[in-house]
Amino acid sequence: MGDLVEDLTRGNATEVKVLLASVALALALYQLTVIAVAYGKLRLGFLDPEPASTAHRAVGDTIALLLVCTGVMCVSVYGFEGAHAVAGTALLALLAFKISVVRRDFGLGRFLPALGISVFVLLCVTWATSAGSFLA
Amino acid sequence: MSRHARQLAGALIAAAIIVAIAIIVVTAQFGPTSAAEQESVEERQDQRLDAQEERREDAGEER
Repeated sequence: MGDLVEDLTRGNATEVKVLLASVALALALYQLTVIAVAYGKLRLGFLDPEPASTAHRAVGDTIALLLVCTGVMCVSVYGFEGAHAVAGTALLALLAFKISVVRRDFGLGRFLPALGISVFVLLCVTWATSAGSFLA
Repeated sequence: MSRHARQLAGALIAAAIIVAIAIIVVTAQFGPTSAAEQESVEERQDQRLDAQEERREDAGEER
């Protein structure tokens, strides 16, 4: 798998991984604004809560895909070690749980804001322990 | 196009713009450190060294 990733990225696996993680983080920041509009906490004249909620879902699906690709690349090239790997695994697990709550509810819908903020914090930690130090 | 669809399209276009900006900023940070760039630099150095050696050998034969 590591060889496939190296071939696909033409030997730039780290750079591609940093890029994907940074794009995911930038979109996550955008998600905070959009969901604030969807919950009515932030009022923008040009965006109603309903389309904001739909956009949040679509962008969230994109972020989930980016994070899964980044995680697979990371484990296949660098293996599983250190705080970064722990944070990344916790992030993907919590994201999977949040998506299942969004789709099926399980009576846990009221915890979605807390879950979303936790996912964002874990994404920041995961990014800072890898991409952040690479770009610094 | 309804108001809802227009606003949704606008929100998704804004997301696409954010992606483009993130790509530009991060790739600018990388600079000439990518593996492909380094390989081409090394290749050019090798070619220069080979050419220098050839010139030295030619000069030695002439003597």
